[in-house]
Amino acid sequence: MDKIKIRQICFLFAVMMPVTKMLIYPTTIAYTAKNDLLFSALINLAIEGVVIGLLMLLAKKTRLSFFGLVENTFGKVAAKIVYGIFALFFFISALLPLTEQKVFVMQVFYENVPSIISFAPFFFVSFYACVKGFKCIGRAADIAMPVFAVAFTVIMLLSVPHADFGALLPVEAVPFKSIVKGSLSSFNWFTDCAFLLFFMGNFEYEKNSAKRVIGSFAIGGAAVLLFLATFYGIFADIAVRQQNTIAQIAKYTTSFTSLGRIDLLFIFALTLVMIFYLCVPLQMCVHCVRKVFNDCRPAIPSAAVNALMLGMMILLNYFFNEMQQIMLRGWYFYALFAYAVPLLALLLKKEAAHE
Amino acid sequence: MRFAYTFADMKKLSENCKENVKSLKSILTSEDILVFQFETKDKKACAAVYADGITDKMLLGEQVAKPLSEKTAPKTAEEAAKLLQSPENKREKDFTKISDEVLAGNTALFIDGIAEAVIVGVKKLSMRAVMEPPTSVAVKGPREGFIEDIKTNMSLIRNRLRTPKLNFITMQVGKQSKTNVCVGYLEGIADKKIVEKIESKIKSIEIDGIPDSSYIGKFLAEHHYSLFKQAGTTEKPDVLAAKMLEGRIAVLVDGSPIAVTLPYLLAEDFQGPQDYFVSPYRASVSRLLRFLAVFVSIFLPAFYVAAQLFKLQLLPFGFLLTISGSIQDIPLSPSLELFFLLLVLEILIEASVRMPKYVALALSVIGALVLGDTAVKAGIVSSSAIIIMALSGISAYTVPDLVGTISILRLVFVVVAGSIGTYGILLMTALLLFYMITADAYGTPMLAPFSPIVRKDLKDSLFKVTMTDLKTRPTVFKTKNKTRLKINEEAKDGQD
Amino acid sequence: MNKLWMRVFLIGTAVLLLLFFSNDFGLIDIQETAIVIAIGVDKSQEEGKYDVTAQIAVPASTGSGTAGNVTVEGASTVGEAVTELNHKTGWYPTLVHCKLILLGMDVADENVFDPIDFFLRSGTVEDTCLVAMCEKTAKETFQATSPVKDISSSAIAKVLSSEAQKTGLVSVTNLKNFAKNYYSVSRSGFLPVVSVKQEAESQGSESQQPVSYQRNEEELAASGPFLSRNKWWKPKRDPLPLAAETAAKGDSGQSGGKSSGGGEEKADVFDATKTLMLYEGKSVAMLTPDETLAFNMAGTDTHYAFGSVTLEENEGPVTYDLKMRINHKTQKLSFENGKPVFTFHIRASAKIVDSSKADSILNITKTDLVPDKVLRAAEVKFEEQLTSIIEKSAETDCDIFNIKQKLYRSHYKQFARYKDSILTDAVVRYDIRFSSMK
Repeated sequence: MDKIKIRQICFLFAVMMPVTKMLIYPTTIAYTAKNDLLFSALINLAIEGVVIGLLMLLAKKTRLSFFGLVENTFGKVAAKIVYGIFALFFFISALLPLTEQKVFVMQVFYENVPSIISFAPFFFVSFYACVKGFKCIGRAADIAMPVFAVAFTVIMLLSVPHADFGALLPVEAVPFKSIVKGSLSSFNWFTDCAFLLFFMGNFEYEKNSAKRVIGSFAIGGAAVLLFLATFYGIFADIAVRQQNTIAQIAKYTTSFTSLGRIDLLFIFALTLVMIFYLCVPLQMCVHCVRKVFNDCRPAIPSAAVNALMLGMMILLNYFFNEMQQIMLRGWYFYALFAYAVPLLALLLKKEAAHE
Repeated sequence: MRFAYTFADMKKLSENCKENVKSLKSILTSEDILVFQFETKDKKACAAVYADGITDKMLLGEQVAKPLSEKTAPKTAEEAAKLLQSPENKREKDFTKISDEVLAGNTALFIDGIAEAVIVGVKKLSMRAVMEPPTSVAVKGPREGFIEDIKTNMSLIRNRLRTPKLNFITMQVGKQSKTNVCVGYLEGIADKKIVEKIESKIKSIEIDGIPDSSYIGKFLAEHHYSLFKQAGTTEKPDVLAAKMLEGRIAVLVDGSPIAVTLPYLLAEDFQGPQDYFVSPYRASVSRLLRFLAVFVSIFLPAFYVAAQLFKLQLLPFGFLLTISGSIQDIPLSPSLELFFLLLVLEILIEASVRMPKYVALALSVIGALVLGDTAVKAGIVSSSAIIIMALSGISAYTVPDLVGTISILRLVFVVVAGSIGTYGILLMTALLLFYMITADAYGTPMLAPFSPIVRKDLKDSLFKVTMTDLKTRPTVFKTKNKTRLKINEEAKDGQD
Repeated sequence: MNKLWMRVFLIGTAVLLLLFFSNDFGLIDIQETAIVIAIGVDKSQEEGKYDVTAQIAVPASTGSGTAGNVTVEGASTVGEAVTELNHKTGWYPTLVHCKLILLGMDVADENVFDPIDFFLRSGTVEDTCLVAMCEKTAKETFQATSPVKDISSSAIAKVLSSEAQKTGLVSVTNLKNFAKNYYSVSRSGFLPVVSVKQEAESQGSESQQPVSYQRNEEELAASGPFLSRNKWWKPKRDPLPLAAETAAKGDSGQSGGKSSGGGEEKADVFDATKTLMLYEGKSVAMLTPDETLAFNMAGTDTHYAFGSVTLEENEGPVTYDLKMRINHKTQKLSFENGKPVFTFHIRASAKIVDSSKADSILNITKTDLVPDKVLRAAEVKFEEQLTSIIEKSAETDCDIFNIKQKLYRSHYKQFARYKDSILTDAVVRYDIRFSSMK
């Protein structure tokens, strides 16, 4: 149930990771870093890339899972505590992306804003995915790859002709402090490396796996950078106004054609990939909860986590801006769990691994 | 486990012919169980007990009565068997088994002085000829199809796979029907573990009767409540042979012309038998068309409903005006209208399957004119909805094996689109995909080679490469014998 | 499937079917939707208020439909007017197919963004819609009748389409680009000016439907499929009210009037060859058609253009109509000895489409080979028009060529010094070369 392949992890980073960075992230970062948003994003991607590289190095040296490593070093109780805390981390880190997606869905998929009843069924889907485990994540990544490749390519082909990349100039106009501030406030969008920590022990390390995973992450990062560049090239000074950027950038080619907004079909395809990806932190949360409770059956923790998340979303329905501000300022929270802890995992006791 | 039917079953055979006949008749009391009494040359009594209607009386006379009546009575059953001119005979001492054989169409021969029955195979079952199956018509390729007789079906396979590696395991299933079921596989190609699993599952079936192979298919399914098929089916021996050569296992059921194959991949329903007899480009285009048709069949009605109710922007402006104009006086909302039309479509399909030929014309007129044209003119439904419904209905039949599933999914998606909207369609798609990617059966993922991606198997999935490039069997079946084609390098150079 | 899951499944199905059959959680049905295809904004007679005209598409079951205009007068904001439309008529206006925003000339006396930032705030109006000014009021412009019986906003959109851009005679902009320029360091922009001309005549008949109609109250009550449809469970809606003066016009056959039943009717054509220059949202200057052509050839995405040059020849002035293809164009800002230099670098090819004087058969055959004198004359004319635009730009601070933006992007260090004076201080150079198309 919890087996995943290297190829599927590669797809996760190459095609699923970029989608959540195409909603509100570009606007947020344009607000802080303005035309130097690429540098801000590059800082985040570089940090994540380093963490992923080091985690792959760790995976090469040991066949144990993260739970096994902590158990080896500090004991089973400590391992459960760590997993319990990470369950909380994944729950919180899923909150903002899910809320973003809710806002995206309400604005792009509907013309008359309906109630939360239109988004609530997501949690039923997520519940099912959580019950199925890592195998579900991996195979969903296999399906997401061609869908993303086609949809993203078409969206970019429709968008790039309208982009004036000169808008990214001048490089020196924005102070470095703003660029760094933009990076720090974006940490909540760059926590994908934490997934790799929990995939450890559930995949077989093959030859050149590290290169493949890092290469895939680089491809995903390049997709993000290309998207950001195109976005800013199209909107320039009014970039801060654009929410749900993925739905905005391709319409300038299609809106006056006889077929109308055909780009919406490709946006829907990308949203499907987004659904797959947004289930992942919840699946991770359920995985951690199961480990805390001695690998209990997944149905109850899945139901509990998803019900709680739905409750939180209903509660925070009218506080999106406040929540966003808190999450943007709480960069240290994400840095600790997504970057620091995985790096510290390198110091844990490993068994000798087969090369 | 089989039980004796009556006290008589438990009796042993005696050397008295008449007593044996009496005992057997006390088990088989039906009037169509007849007794043919005759004597040997030395006036020893003989009796042949057979079922009227399924026994070849001519053969009985020629192969059983005639040789015995011209010779002296044999002393043992073995001797008797040698005297007979029938190649198909065996000896039985158990009344239960003897009665089973008589009910199967064989004849039980009792001879005075021998406490054993000789079972002679002189069956004559009424069956249809081997012909092209109506559900799987091929413009190019073989036109043979399975029939209801399992032995004929086995012979059709044997004719195509003339290898000693072709094994058949036969069993009887059904307390009352005692249906013969046969598991066929190629040794060294099929996974033995799966063969054993299938065999044990079939043996564990305790049911009164098996009228068709679909019953066996249901018992062999690993997810009993799944909306999707769990086993492949085919009526064509060439298709079955090809599937077996890829590593699948065949299950034949006496009385059913449809063979069941396991493990099952969803992609195989998109592969037509003709794909292997035409150009690979044509085959690839056909498969893509089928995939597109299924996609249109399931999603088009849903998107039509969702666009009208939730997202007008999905519709091009000119089309939006046309639709808006055509639905002006329609009393039903778009979702109800399409739901109603899809229900009417299903009713029409059901009626057309069941109706007698003689009323076909009248029903066509009703379907086309009344339900189509008149309903639009009366303002009950709109013409655009009729077009959507018709296109969706026709598209489903590009993959006939999945029509049932597609019809249900289509209705579900329309309901979801009408209630939750465009996002609901996506959520339903995600849920369906999550379900399909985790629905493994017999160790084989249903959505392979797409999820998980099996690169080598993609060559014969949504598109098809040339025959010379299909050198290996599908990896997903975990067969040990991976190579199915070797190209002679000298011959290949010669072609250049 | 155990009992619990069976119950969950049944409850879920029941909820879904309830939602499906009730279909009533705040959605707006397409049959109750007014599809707004264009919006016009004029200054109201009341100070600080606006008259907003919405052109609403009337669906037809056989393809293209017609349109009706609804004006809400005296609204403080465009948003208020849109809400008023819903409130008064009961029909929910949907703006997702709004393709044109037309502003009356008086709106540009003050910041045009005062009314039109509604469209930037709105999540439903796409910023791909075209924006244009009109010489008269938007309300009058929408009432114009096109000679091919197009809806007026469609006819205007055609005049501003990408096909029209290929002639180079029209400067097209959409809301996004207009807003981008407004909010950039240049704070400038341009809008095409649509004028209505009664030039074409078409033969009308009793059976002809008006393209842009103004119906009086009796007609509204008696007919109009989109106005009076209802479902059997919903009460009948009131018809969409029209502005009072529109109803009063009735049969008078005013411009954009109804079919008069037999005889000729005047049709209107739209012209958008003039361009309005705006600075900080206010109009500051107008480009003539020749200047518009030069501006498009040098500064926008136009790659083809049609223009004419007049030469004094022996027999008198001869006008040559040229089809021009812009092969390469750049505008470069550089600094020489500390002084800003703005260079137009344009390479174009041309061919003679027609001339005012008949020519020899040989010359007609060699129409792709344009005589040098004609090419030079075209270069001179092009340069003159660009100079004129630059002068207007310098006088009014309207940075129509985005020179300030180039200064900001490519010469950031000089930006602080020259940002307010670049338009006047920059030395303009022209490197324009025309060649024959073949």
